[in-house]
Amino acid sequence: MKNYIRVCDVEKYYGNASNVTKAVDRVSFTVAQGEFVGVMGASGSGKTTLLNMLSTIDRVTAGHIWYGDTDIAEMKENDLAKFRKANLGFVFQDYNLLDTLTIEENIILAMTIRKESRQEIQKKCDQIMKLLGIADIRDQFPYQVSGGQKQRCACARALVNRPRLILADEPTGALDSRSAQTLLETFTDMNEKMQATILMVTHDAFSASYCSRILFLKDGRIFHELVRGRKERRVFLNEILDVLALTGGEVSNVQ
Amino acid sequence: MFNKLAFRNMRRSARDYLVYFLTMTFVTALMFAFNSLIFADDIEEMFDAAGIMAVLVGLAAFFIVLIVAWLINYMIRFMLEKRSREFGICLLAGMEKKEIARLYIRENALLGTCAFLAGMALGVLLKQVIMAILYSMLQIKYDIHMELNRFCVLMTAGCYAGCYVLALFRSGRKFRKMNIRDLMEAQKKNEEIKESHEQLKKWLFWVSLLFLAVFAVFIFFIGIQDAGQALFFLTGIVLVIYLFYIGLSSWLICYVQKRGEAVYHGQNLFLLRQFSSKLKTMSFTMGTLTALFTLAFLGCTVALMFSDYQNKLLETKFPFDVQIYSGDVKDDFADEIAVLEKETRVLDAFPYHIYADVPLEDQKETEDLRRERASQVNVWLSTHLKTFGDMYRNKDGSPNLKRIEKDSADGAFYCRYDTYMRLSDYNHLRAMLGYKEVLLGEREYLIHVKDRILLEVETMNEDIVIEGDEGELEFAGYYSEPFSQDGHNGGDYVIVVPDSSASSLTPYYAELAVDIEGEAPAGLGRKLDELAEPEDFEESGKSGRSESGEETGKSGQSESGEETGKSGQSETGEETEESGQSERTGGMSEEEEENEDMAFFGHKIMEGNVCCGSDTIVVMSVTNMVRDNLIPEMKYMLSALIFPCFYIGLVFLCVALTVLSVHQLSDSAKYRFRYLVLGKLGMNKQEIGIVILKQLVCYYLCPVILAVVIGGSVSVFMSGKFIFYTGIQSAVFQYFGLTFLLFFGIYALYFITTYVSFRRNVETDL
Repeated sequence: MKNYIRVCDVEKYYGNASNVTKAVDRVSFTVAQGEFVGVMGASGSGKTTLLNMLSTIDRVTAGHIWYGDTDIAEMKENDLAKFRKANLGFVFQDYNLLDTLTIEENIILAMTIRKESRQEIQKKCDQIMKLLGIADIRDQFPYQVSGGQKQRCACARALVNRPRLILADEPTGALDSRSAQTLLETFTDMNEKMQATILMVTHDAFSASYCSRILFLKDGRIFHELVRGRKERRVFLNEILDVLALTGGEVSNVQ
Repeated sequence: MFNKLAFRNMRRSARDYLVYFLTMTFVTALMFAFNSLIFADDIEEMFDAAGIMAVLVGLAAFFIVLIVAWLINYMIRFMLEKRSREFGICLLAGMEKKEIARLYIRENALLGTCAFLAGMALGVLLKQVIMAILYSMLQIKYDIHMELNRFCVLMTAGCYAGCYVLALFRSGRKFRKMNIRDLMEAQKKNEEIKESHEQLKKWLFWVSLLFLAVFAVFIFFIGIQDAGQALFFLTGIVLVIYLFYIGLSSWLICYVQKRGEAVYHGQNLFLLRQFSSKLKTMSFTMGTLTALFTLAFLGCTVALMFSDYQNKLLETKFPFDVQIYSGDVKDDFADEIAVLEKETRVLDAFPYHIYADVPLEDQKETEDLRRERASQVNVWLSTHLKTFGDMYRNKDGSPNLKRIEKDSADGAFYCRYDTYMRLSDYNHLRAMLGYKEVLLGEREYLIHVKDRILLEVETMNEDIVIEGDEGELEFAGYYSEPFSQDGHNGGDYVIVVPDSSASSLTPYYAELAVDIEGEAPAGLGRKLDELAEPEDFEESGKSGRSESGEETGKSGQSESGEETGKSGQSETGEETEESGQSERTGGMSEEEEENEDMAFFGHKIMEGNVCCGSDTIVVMSVTNMVRDNLIPEMKYMLSALIFPCFYIGLVFLCVALTVLSVHQLSDSAKYRFRYLVLGKLGMNKQEIGIVILKQLVCYYLCPVILAVVIGGSVSVFMSGKFIFYTGIQSAVFQYFGLTFLLFFGIYALYFITTYVSFRRNVETDL
């Protein structure tokens, strides 16, 4: 399906009349269903702002964001919450798991909020935990498990409702390299096996190399785009590093 | 520089912990207002009982200082934890621990001083309110005057400083143990929920509930029999208060682990987990809060009980304007009437006698029978009234005559002999009180009893035999209007016989009932007391003098008071009466001691035939009863109980609510991300608002519900006893119901403030 998500001329300004910061400056792109898109850029390039607008947490100053036929830029506050509930899943750098709930309960909560039936909830929960390899830590509290496990739990929570789009903000940011790799493989699996559409923001080239397409942001604008195609991941990583070298930044973050 | 920093930090603390600051202000205001009760000069001059008020307010102040110190200590530790990162930075920047400690203490002292000054300003206003209430109770006109009594300010400042000294006592240690890394990390640390033995611990919940049920059954149906049981239940209650929360939290955890049905509905899972983890980490604090709430409930209930008594029963206790007793049957009351006529306009002064059926020596053959007849009603009442229980019965159920005789000689409840009155006297007195005249046949008698015991004596007439000159009299009925039966017109009862049948009766003591125009002037009772012979004073006033000091000593009067207002009850609610008869006896002897100790109310004792009847808790039985003097005085004495009880109740309530509120608010800041996550999971602002509301309701209600169950059953029990012993006509639940309303007024204020700030804290980022 084409034009699954369309971002049209989105702008986001901060500040007041005398001092305007253009965090996102006329950005347009589309995401197709089942795509794994990465957004890269240096700190302050506007990637998190863009993600926030896509995730309805922040509002656009100008432009439109279409999810199919729905323009979220035009929606009201209450409808946005409903929209989020039905269409989006989140994975964040700091996991954002509820510390008072066990791993399993964190996943269950996401479904009870959508008022699903008990059997349905438990079935889906068991499935996704098995799929992401966290079934044996189901009764542990977040503080008792590793960062990678926490992040996989967050993925499970994001995925369990079968959202239209999963938004990931620096998901490997707080993980060691081994966990990061496992997580990225999980993402690829989610993308390939479950046809989940993923938009991941990162400034880490290694993480980005798992994506099928990468948008490079600089000073609020898209200045480059890379498509992986059928290339090896290693080759794709080199391409990414080349682009980064060109912009003179973020090489130090390459692992 | 440090001063400036301290000042700035203090301002920030006051803003962050506004509830705490306001509570401290309010507590200061209460302290000042209630302390001023001790230092009200005009009242001190007016009432000899002013000492009681001072003692009880002082006692209340003592407990309040302890509790407020706990609050301050709690808050200091709490703020320290919240600001640990800041202190870590200070340490990193090179400040010494000692300097930081000093800075922190200076800040707190500044905050305290500000709250104190604000509280004093509010206190001056609050004092006016409290004084106005007290004065209107005492029927004295109160002119608003904004004076600051030096001693009162000093005492308030002393109490306040005492709280701080107690609170800061050990906080220095905290600073010595500080470590930069721990400080920097403390804030980041989330709650670590350690679940272990939950299955086992959850039984604590059921055991607690079971204990409460047993307690309720005992208190309402069986009664607590002895000191051992009382101690058992008291210990049990304290344990339950603390263990209940551990049990409840484990029970909730087990429920969630078992995946109970409710877990799968809406945000229940979040709420259940949130609540159980909070309970788990704070079970001790929650227990303490419950204890505070319970005490607050009990304090207010006792206050309301006595204030109800004041409003309803006091007026009926003194039906005559003036009533004077004399143990000398030949007394013609000429001196007293002279005084009365000098001081006021007498409308009617009626001297009369109370008679007894005393056995005569020459009738030897019937002596035993006559002796039995002479005190038959006393014996019947001693053995049948619920008040006495089995106190005057032998083990086989027969009356314990020896004990009755001994106690009547000591003047415990009844006189040595039954009390009689002539019909003509009775009707004259009825006319004075505006009651309808009563007609009796030649061979009839009636009994006038206190309304309180009317239902209990229904069958008494079948068991007693009243003989007139010409044989047995027939019973013609009971009357129960207020009739001054706390020792003047008999104690509890007086038997009224036709004049013709009274010739064989012996005059027992003399009485004078007086109707005067308008209100009696203040101090009339004292003037009447002063008529007593100096030697009487030497004989019986020995204990009174030492207590009452110069004033009463000068007037050379014999004195004593009957006041059995048990101050102990206000504190614990677990009083002698609960513990059944054996305890009750102990209680009585205590009261007697108390009577001697309390002989400083400046009234003349009734010598000879003291029979104040079976009333307890509040009894005033004195020789010279001047209604318009006594009522304000009784009210003052009752106020001495009512005010401190309210004082304690209010302060405890505010302290407990502050802790609840501050805790939730700081959590709302620390755990804001939880609500942000809920938002990202797709809940809108309104839904999150509802989650917060539910969470706060659970959190606020939990300690209150337990306190209501415990405090409620004790209060209802206490009120039942109070109603039973005083004969006041009120519903058992009334006092507790009113307390509950008052409580929830204040409660709602705190709750709304917390809820609004909580949402504001959370929603800034939503």
